[in-house]
Amino acid sequence: MLAFELIVQGLIQGSIYALIAVGLTLVYGLLRILHIAHAALFTLGGYFGVLVTNATGSFGLAIVVAMVAVGGLGMLVYRFCYEPILARPPHVALIASIGLFIALEEVFRLVFGPYGISYTAPPLTATVVVASMNLKQAEIMVMAGVIVLIGGLAVLTRRTRVGIAWRATVTDPAMAQSFGVDVIKVRYLNFFIGSALAAAAGVMVALLNNLVEPTMGSVPSYKALAIIVLGGLGDVRGTLIAALALGVVESFGTIYLGTILDRDAIAFVFLIVVLMIRPQGLFGKT
Amino acid sequence: MKFSWSKLAVLAVTGALTGALTGALWGGAAQADTVKIGFNVPLTGFAAADGKSALTGAELAVEQANAEGGIDGKMIELLVYDDQASPKESVPIATKLATQDKVNIAISGSYSGATRAAAGVFQANGIPYIAAYAVHPGITRSGDFVFRTSFVGEVQGRAGAKLAGDILGKKRAVLITLKNDFGKSLAAGFKEAAGKFGVTIVAEYEYSIKDRQFGPIVSKVKADNPEVIYASGYFFTAGPLVSQLRAAGIEVPIIGQEGYDSQKFIEIAGAAAEGTIITTSLDRDSDQAETKAFIAAFEKKAGYKVDMVAASGHTAVMVAIAAMRQAGTTDRKAIRDAIAGLTLQASTGKISFNKLGEVRKNVQVQVVRDGNWRRHSVIDDPELLAPPTE
Repeated sequence: MLAFELIVQGLIQGSIYALIAVGLTLVYGLLRILHIAHAALFTLGGYFGVLVTNATGSFGLAIVVAMVAVGGLGMLVYRFCYEPILARPPHVALIASIGLFIALEEVFRLVFGPYGISYTAPPLTATVVVASMNLKQAEIMVMAGVIVLIGGLAVLTRRTRVGIAWRATVTDPAMAQSFGVDVIKVRYLNFFIGSALAAAAGVMVALLNNLVEPTMGSVPSYKALAIIVLGGLGDVRGTLIAALALGVVESFGTIYLGTILDRDAIAFVFLIVVLMIRPQGLFGKT
Repeated sequence: MKFSWSKLAVLAVTGALTGALTGALWGGAAQADTVKIGFNVPLTGFAAADGKSALTGAELAVEQANAEGGIDGKMIELLVYDDQASPKESVPIATKLATQDKVNIAISGSYSGATRAAAGVFQANGIPYIAAYAVHPGITRSGDFVFRTSFVGEVQGRAGAKLAGDILGKKRAVLITLKNDFGKSLAAGFKEAAGKFGVTIVAEYEYSIKDRQFGPIVSKVKADNPEVIYASGYFFTAGPLVSQLRAAGIEVPIIGQEGYDSQKFIEIAGAAAEGTIITTSLDRDSDQAETKAFIAAFEKKAGYKVDMVAASGHTAVMVAIAAMRQAGTTDRKAIRDAIAGLTLQASTGKISFNKLGEVRKNVQVQVVRDGNWRRHSVIDDPELLAPPTE
């Protein structure tokens, strides 16, 4: 019974990781950039979620505002941070991204204050008993939300013209362009969707913890990197599985290894072990 | 030479300006004859929230003392530096305070790592240094110039064991320990005294300061079915932890410590915060004039509810000021000796220091009632609360 509860808790945590890491792997797949500042957009999503909910009383509206606003900001990050340096070697973009991430954390602290903010009336706090397990509505919503969002992404990329153009661009940008795909538009779309998903994750974490702090993104900033490497860089399906698997491994690790190994270190031990056996990642192709 | 009114005017203006400037400079020099208190505090980074409270408390103490005429007519000046709660920042800051600013005394409004590193610098320069709320036992062991106005973790941990086993009468405890010097020393103190109060420790889980999601630990604690939970942490970890424990249907008492001691804890945990009991240094329902006056003045100045860190920052500066007044000189050795012999009624209660420079005071037990911290009880067992002496 305990094992079942630990798996469920791991899947909740893994769902959050998945939402964050998918955006990161999308950016990597398209532009070969390790977009560290992605985690700051996750934090900003949390801020929008709390502020809009507190101001309007509508949590649904808050999710929409957070996703659209942060998605838009993600496009600006591409336009003003990455586009000017795309021709440079990849480490230039990486350094720019780390710089942007640190700067944004400090901007959040200056704008929103160092204490972090909370929902004045936290939504979805009621407890539901599922198979003798007490779950908050918020936890159920997180899992359902992730399924809806990732499912929506899958439909978008497989069933729509935009999505097909997107996948074509990821596979072969030059060929896609010669077939009339607007590669620049695809990049903006990529940043919009990736950032919007991160914002959704931020809103959900804010809901689970009832706390949004300037440094909320610091752990996801590097853990998401471990996840996308595990998943085979640029591979969305692999990233999803890696995220959920890591959530579950961490959940058990916290209880049975907690005194000797930090939870945040588990991701990297997991990463090292997997890379020793499969250097291309869990699902990467050789 | 042709006489010119305009030249005369220019001369006159220049002369007047020179005079004014000189006067200003001399005036400045006269003003420079102040008593200087150095203050290292995290104003950016992860500990910035505590830093802000500590600084506001310290500033309040300086304002109050200056309004009373300072120290022997000299105004007190607080020299503030941001150490980001990091030793690599606090060491150069301590060096600057000691060698360039030539402060009379220094205070740490920072965490253990930064404070412990800076303590060595102040000790080497023979400058008295008071840690307001840093808990690491190594701090006062830096030497005889280093003091502390808060409990070391072990003392508060022992008080927690008394609270669990004696005051609440709960014998089966689970420990949820924050994996840093603060949490570890609290757990050590709790375990040390647990047997004395008949408390058995069923299980202990550890978490890192970055954790906000405790789902797995909560599931396991529920399976352990304890009578009481002793959970160390700060308001930003304890808020999510307590709310997640309660959401899982765990209803046993949760005992925390001074790290919870902020209105923010209650905001984060919401209704789940009700009934949480902590051991701390500040009694909101105190009858003492010093404490009441401090709480009122702080909330007016800061615009938010008082917390333990603010009271500790205030107390540490008050100790410095009282010692300097008593010493009647700016000689640092004399100030050190005055602190060592001091007994002071401060915002955190009646305090004095043992020979290691550790504070002796009562532990205040507070409980969340109707969304506010209120008095639960006071632990005043000097033997149980005896700080380390070497």
